[in-house]
Amino acid sequence: MPAETHMEQSPMTRAEVLELVRDRLADILEIDPEDIREGASFADDLEADSLALIELVEALEEELADRTVGFRIDDEDLQDLKSVRDAVDYVYAKAGAES
Amino acid sequence: MVERLPVALDAMGSDGGPAVLVEGARLAAERGVDVLLVGDPDQLGDVGDLRVKPASEVVEMGAEPAASVRRLKDSSIVRAAEAVRDGEASALVSAGNTGAAMAASLLRMGRIKGLTRPAIAVPFPVFGSTETTLLDCGANAECQPEWLVQFAEMGAVYNRVRFGVERPRIGLLTIGEEAGKGNQLVKDAAKLLEDPGWANDVGAEYIGNVEGRDLMLGVCDVIVCDGFTGNVVLKSIEGAMLVARTQIRAAMASTAEGERASAVVAPLIDPIIDRLDTEQTGTALLLGVRGVSCISHGSSDAATICRSIMTASAIADDHIVDRLRDMIDARS
Repeated sequence: MPAETHMEQSPMTRAEVLELVRDRLADILEIDPEDIREGASFADDLEADSLALIELVEALEEELADRTVGFRIDDEDLQDLKSVRDAVDYVYAKAGAES
Repeated sequence: MVERLPVALDAMGSDGGPAVLVEGARLAAERGVDVLLVGDPDQLGDVGDLRVKPASEVVEMGAEPAASVRRLKDSSIVRAAEAVRDGEASALVSAGNTGAAMAASLLRMGRIKGLTRPAIAVPFPVFGSTETTLLDCGANAECQPEWLVQFAEMGAVYNRVRFGVERPRIGLLTIGEEAGKGNQLVKDAAKLLEDPGWANDVGAEYIGNVEGRDLMLGVCDVIVCDGFTGNVVLKSIEGAMLVARTQIRAAMASTAEGERASAVVAPLIDPIIDRLDTEQTGTALLLGVRGVSCISHGSSDAATICRSIMTASAIADDHIVDRLRDMIDARS
């Protein structure tokens, strides 16, 4: 395990990551978390623009910094995150029980 | 006595370089508005008594805004936005990369809860009346109908606080006054705006469709549109004013008779042209973030930067963020 990403708390389950992504996204887009499906596309279904996605990324980094030291979403990976599922998979791989 | 906070000026973002910005700050300080310069001290030159908040990086004019703000954490625009967030400054003024100013304001100051998207508001002069505020002038190229209702709410609050209009009249910018004119966004937004609930909550009056020509005729106090349309309108007017100004001057200078007439006519015409020239007089305000964020043209001279700083300070004194929060709390 790289020293810069070691866990400060117990790793998150995938369901917890999904809940976190959904909550932060709902807060940014001012919509009900229940209206955010895991398969929803950021652009086509949620009409989230690039700035909203950056808001999401910064919110996730801030939230997860305490749990996983050095947690960061790389800029070059951002373009691959097209849907809620993509974001959940990405965060889970880095900060979840699978990391 | 409550201490008045300085205005944070992004001292690195300008077509004319830091010297123009520092001079603008000095002019504002002479008029009683304290300024906090944010930038690389080694590049600012002689700043006199002005305070400097060091920042080692710059978001260049052509850089991709959001990614740059995320990557360049010690950039002048990011540090200036943080100064407002952290209570070191009352407002931010930037003449640099507009998108970066918007992104830095949104990401560092944060969004006001209850407002989905910030919008850029620009007041346009109306002769014999108070200004008409147009928004969105470029923050959101693609909009949803619901956002236009929020722009109307924010515009109504801004117009009342800034210009003292008790019950602002709101118009929807489209291609004809008759109901039903416009693209799908406009038609959908019109349906939402026609519901009197939001207007009653915010103390405004929705008057229906307006056209581009109504912008400076005093037909209404606030005009809403998507950011793509608003930016095209803004830049078109700026271009038209530039042509009018240069062509009138060239015509006056083209004959000896014209030059003699100019001595009489210019003092009458110039103030009108100056007032109409939003590039010279106006500063755009990003409404919807938790702080005062003013955006000026990259081509601004020192006098324009000074005016922007003074406007930003006045807007901060108006407590616009608090008034927007009050508006959201009052929603039924």
